[in-house]
Amino acid sequence: MLEKILLLLSLSFSVAEELCKPGVGEAYKVRFSIKTALGDQAYPWNKNEMFLFRAALAFAMRDYTNGEEFGVSDVHPCNETPRVSFWFVVTRPNNTELVDKGTVEMAIKKSRNRINGAFLLTDQTLEFDGIYPTLAAPVSPDTPPWLIVFGVVMGAVSVGIIALLVYPLVQRKLKKNMDADDEDSDEETGVKTAENGANDGIYNSTFSDDERFTQM
Amino acid sequence: MEKDGRPNWDSPMQFVLACVSYAVGLGNVWRFPYLCQLHGGGGFLIPYLIMLLLEGLPLFYMELAIGQKMRLGSIRAWTSISPYLGGLGLASLVTSMYLCLYYNVIIAWSFWYLFHSFQSVLPWSVCPINSNRTGPTEECDVATPTQYFFYRETLNISPSIEENGGIHTGQALCLVLAWAITYLFIVRGVKSTGKVVYFTATFPYLVLFIYLIRGVTLHGAINGLKYMFTPKMAELANPRAWINAATQIFFSLGLGFGSLIAFASYNQYNNNFQNQAIVVSLINSGTSIFASIVTFAIYGFKATLNYENCLDRMRILLLNTFDLAEDAISMDSVLEWTEKLNTTYPEQFAQIADKVREGECNLEKELDTAVEGTGLAFIVYSEAIKNMPLPQLWSVLYFFMLLLLGMGSMLGNVTAIITPLRDFKIMSRMSNELFSGLVCVFCLLLGLGFTTTSGNYWFTIFNDYAASFSLLFIVLIEVVAVSYIYGIKRFEKDIEDMLGHRPNWYLKIMWAVTSPLLLIGLFIFFIINYIQGGAPTYQAWNKELGASVVTEYPVFGQVFIALLLVSSISCVPLTALYAFCRKRKDRAYENRPSVVSTVSL
Repeated sequence: MLEKILLLLSLSFSVAEELCKPGVGEAYKVRFSIKTALGDQAYPWNKNEMFLFRAALAFAMRDYTNGEEFGVSDVHPCNETPRVSFWFVVTRPNNTELVDKGTVEMAIKKSRNRINGAFLLTDQTLEFDGIYPTLAAPVSPDTPPWLIVFGVVMGAVSVGIIALLVYPLVQRKLKKNMDADDEDSDEETGVKTAENGANDGIYNSTFSDDERFTQM
Repeated sequence: MEKDGRPNWDSPMQFVLACVSYAVGLGNVWRFPYLCQLHGGGGFLIPYLIMLLLEGLPLFYMELAIGQKMRLGSIRAWTSISPYLGGLGLASLVTSMYLCLYYNVIIAWSFWYLFHSFQSVLPWSVCPINSNRTGPTEECDVATPTQYFFYRETLNISPSIEENGGIHTGQALCLVLAWAITYLFIVRGVKSTGKVVYFTATFPYLVLFIYLIRGVTLHGAINGLKYMFTPKMAELANPRAWINAATQIFFSLGLGFGSLIAFASYNQYNNNFQNQAIVVSLINSGTSIFASIVTFAIYGFKATLNYENCLDRMRILLLNTFDLAEDAISMDSVLEWTEKLNTTYPEQFAQIADKVREGECNLEKELDTAVEGTGLAFIVYSEAIKNMPLPQLWSVLYFFMLLLLGMGSMLGNVTAIITPLRDFKIMSRMSNELFSGLVCVFCLLLGLGFTTTSGNYWFTIFNDYAASFSLLFIVLIEVVAVSYIYGIKRFEKDIEDMLGHRPNWYLKIMWAVTSPLLLIGLFIFFIINYIQGGAPTYQAWNKELGASVVTEYPVFGQVFIALLLVSSISCVPLTALYAFCRKRKDRAYENRPSVVSTVSL
């Protein structure tokens, strides 16, 4: 009995080793950059974290295949390095048939956020070699924000121009009304004062004695 | 109001600020630092300051004197000096018109960038995603996000000058706004311009000061400053350094456009323009030096950042290829690790040897990339800004400063168009506001051509050829006319009349001898350069390569360049010819026997 169990165990180990070969067949490489992502708060990589990874991947496979009962033992890692990168393969539940690369890729893509979340990492710090992250769709607002600022500035400038153009016309109208009132009260005197005259007259420069050096 | 009905500046301070605002423009920010870098850093200051004394200050002084004495715009001012010289004013007018057409496009771009700074993520810091959502768009991937934003989203540039598309509506809107603001500032003539220049002349200095503090505290700025200030004295032996210093002083002060004559014509007759000329020239040069300190601090920051990013990429490449622990290689030890790994694992290293060679990190090379013009202002600076903390604030400040610098120069140039035209009785019958409005609308409609997809190439034609050669010619004729046709003695007396004392003997020598010789030298150099340089070329943006490619101008482009040059220069001889013919006709009319001259009685 004991020999049979030992034989089975060694067989299963050797099977796992044979299944997971780096760079060959259905194997994927995964790379963790924990220190880059978390800095001081980085957790050390150990067997428990590896267990979490296998569990997360089993969850992804279950979720994608809608209920096929993948377990932690169906994810076989190998070639772990100090970088914290390793290869892995996935086998079908209850036998040693490898799940093809395409299915694994779709499963990972679907549950990428959940896997990232389990390790407090992002698409850039938890990399699956060959599986590109789907980027978030760009948010496009109804009115581009620059147009709003443009509208404000353009409005202010237009108001300024209209104010500058209309202001002297308004001033002139007010003055005319004031002059009309003044004329009614000054009609008896009838003399145009010098100030009023100078604004309308043309200055004759011949009579100016501004020239310091007169030509002889 | 002066006694002859000409409007006036409210105070001499307004005139000084107007000149400062006009002279201190985009060239101080984007051309001088480039020249400094090209010609050996701090050493370039020597030819620059010498040229300021030999040619900049005397010519500036001369233009102010003419404007203040004649109290007329450039055309009638030169006609008063000699009836054959009216063409000088006309040439200035044509050149100013060309400048106004394309300069406001820069202000439109500044507005575009300014408005786009009001977003949580600056649009030129990230690439837009392609339709598959797998990565950035191709063009953005090959180039950088800042280049993509400038060439694709701002300009929507076509692959060459021959291909044209439609008008970029965003650009067109910004151009309309730029002209609306210009109109707002000039609608009341010097009364409105005089108030605006208080702001446009002073606010850029505030921004430059803030940027100086921010710049020198950035990580890596010291590399840029060291690079700038280590003078390479050997460059002084290079004649190009002296020629570039002369042309930079010349164009930086804005001589020959007629703007200085126009501004000075609104002065009081006895205004002390001598001190003002010295002050403005010194402020202009000082600002150039100040701006290049800021620019080099920013260069240093950008170069150091790129260098460190490059080292980081190398580090990650090594970590991933050799599967070492994450903290095995630090930023400082990348280079020694590269050596170590090369020797210990040669076959594995050979696989990535290409990538290592391509991505070689060199700080000197990063600092060496000297850029000028719109490339510096809109690409290099935006790239530096996006990496600063709180980039929206710095972006808004920076583009607002560019706006003010550009607007200050625009005010001078539009005044240079309006003032001489208003001296003619036909134009002065129209109201001030209507005339200014017509000029603005006319320039706006023509300027829309620069907002098309090939517009940037036409912009480059105007930028390189519309104002450079013609101005040299104009100012050369100006200084020769004043020194020899009008006469230095008469000019001296006019200045004594205005200021109360004669100009220094130094200035007289400059006007009569040095400046004309210098200008002739520059003129000949330009001609030789043009002939030797072969067909003129431009930088066309290639979207597959994500880089600019040197392309020759097609025939219609070269013809257009020739037209630009000929149209302004030919004004001088044609007007002289016209005046000569008029005089002959008048004399013939006077000698008709049927007319009895009362003088003979």
